[in-house]
Amino acid sequence: MMMEGNLTEIIVVTSGKGGVGKTTTSASVACGLARRGKRVAVIDFDIGLRNLDLIMGCERRVVYDFVNVIQGDCTLKQALIRDKRLETLHVLAASQTRDKDALTPEGVKKVLDELAAEGFDYIVCDSPAGIEKGAHLAMYYADRAVVVVNPEVSSVRDSDRILGLLASKTQRAEQGNGGVKEHLLLTRYNPKRVASGEMMSVGDVKEILGLDVIGVVPESPDVLAASNAGVPVIFNDESDASRAYDDAVGRLLGEELPLRFLEEPKRGFFARMFGG
Amino acid sequence: MMTKPVDAAAPAPAIDVRFGQVGLIQLRIRSTDPGAILDELTGRVVSAPLFFQRTGVCLDMTVLGREPQVAEMRGVMDAVRRAGMLPVGLVGESPAMESLSAALELPVLAPFRPQAQAAAVPVVQPAERTEVGIPALMQHQPVRSGQRLYARSRDLVVTAAVGAGAEVIADGCVHVYGALRGRAVAGARGDTGTRVFCQEFRAELVSVAGVFRVFETLPPELAGKPVQAWLDGDDLRFAPISG
Repeated sequence: MMMEGNLTEIIVVTSGKGGVGKTTTSASVACGLARRGKRVAVIDFDIGLRNLDLIMGCERRVVYDFVNVIQGDCTLKQALIRDKRLETLHVLAASQTRDKDALTPEGVKKVLDELAAEGFDYIVCDSPAGIEKGAHLAMYYADRAVVVVNPEVSSVRDSDRILGLLASKTQRAEQGNGGVKEHLLLTRYNPKRVASGEMMSVGDVKEILGLDVIGVVPESPDVLAASNAGVPVIFNDESDASRAYDDAVGRLLGEELPLRFLEEPKRGFFARMFGG
Repeated sequence: MMTKPVDAAAPAPAIDVRFGQVGLIQLRIRSTDPGAILDELTGRVVSAPLFFQRTGVCLDMTVLGREPQVAEMRGVMDAVRRAGMLPVGLVGESPAMESLSAALELPVLAPFRPQAQAAAVPVVQPAERTEVGIPALMQHQPVRSGQRLYARSRDLVVTAAVGAGAEVIADGCVHVYGALRGRAVAGARGDTGTRVFCQEFRAELVSVAGVFRVFETLPPELAGKPVQAWLDGDDLRFAPISG
């Protein structure tokens, strides 16, 4: 997708398994890219179970949604919601009253092409869980994929399946265009449980899925607080999760950054002496 | 790959003629009784329905011992089709082959060296390996959970991991130069001489020529090691590959 030498990149955030952090990731990655000056549109593909607008804090500003645009009830500009914190960031909410049957490959392509023509640098597609139509269409036109994985057996198995679909049932795979570039993002990582052997390590996940990680986001209470407040966690400068997401965005843009937050935070001498 | 310079004025041909290798099942015909043929073939098909469905087969006439009539052969072909297979050629050396070929509109294919013994009904032989050999089906990407690969009439070579919930199947041998975490099936059409090889054994199920074993737990002497599996009579054996 090109406009005057500007290549729009479509990134799908997917996982297979539900509840691993796709929407949290879509929101923070979209904000992270916009914060670096990129023009970003983030789209909720979970028709009927929309969440992205809640996490982004714009749920009371949704007038028109993705399905409205596909069906021609409104223009794309009317449906896009500009983020109040970052002026280069726009949200396209999902419909709550319809379901995934309202999505069509042609309709999705039309919207993505129009966003590219508008000059967006990145389009982040927040996929629903599963491998059905919504998930399939969210990944079909992607150039890159961020596969969100929890270090836990069912999540890893589902991500393996999703990686197989990314490699075979996408436009880039079908056209032999080099395929979708795949990245793993490990979320809800708990170093203490990894150390005690209860939880899979980064190395375990890499070994099973055969891919390097683009980031490790530690389990953090800040994520729930962020959802409740409608402020994506990447805005919380005090949070390890926020820093981890920011690192991941940096790596997506090609920066080489060492992985952080893999160890339990070491408590200082006084903290250990006096508890708390 | 070299291409001939294209004459801009000449239109592209409607068909390109290429020479290739194809592996085919031989049906050695010992009796032209359509009922007996259909019984025998249906039994085979039931054990592996997908693999026989619309498979091309050669009718090997070399052991029948006499020249069949065209009408008899039509009965044979009908029975073969009813079993779900497709006759695509004749094998035989007798003088009658030419007229049979013309009447039935089937080509006479190169005869194979006859193999051994006797049954009263047609026997389905597993695909014989020709002198030239068919190159293995190669897979260099990981085989992901839910994916299934099938190498028809040849070996399968995977140079990456086979994920849990994935299936790698071959009529020949299965070679996994990586971790095998899913299912591996060798000799899918009955070749008992095939084997499964892997570099890191963590398989859920291994089968050779229909004899299979499920691994609820991995035996410590095999887990994570290079392992091969093969048939010894009716027993499916596993052993670390040493060296």
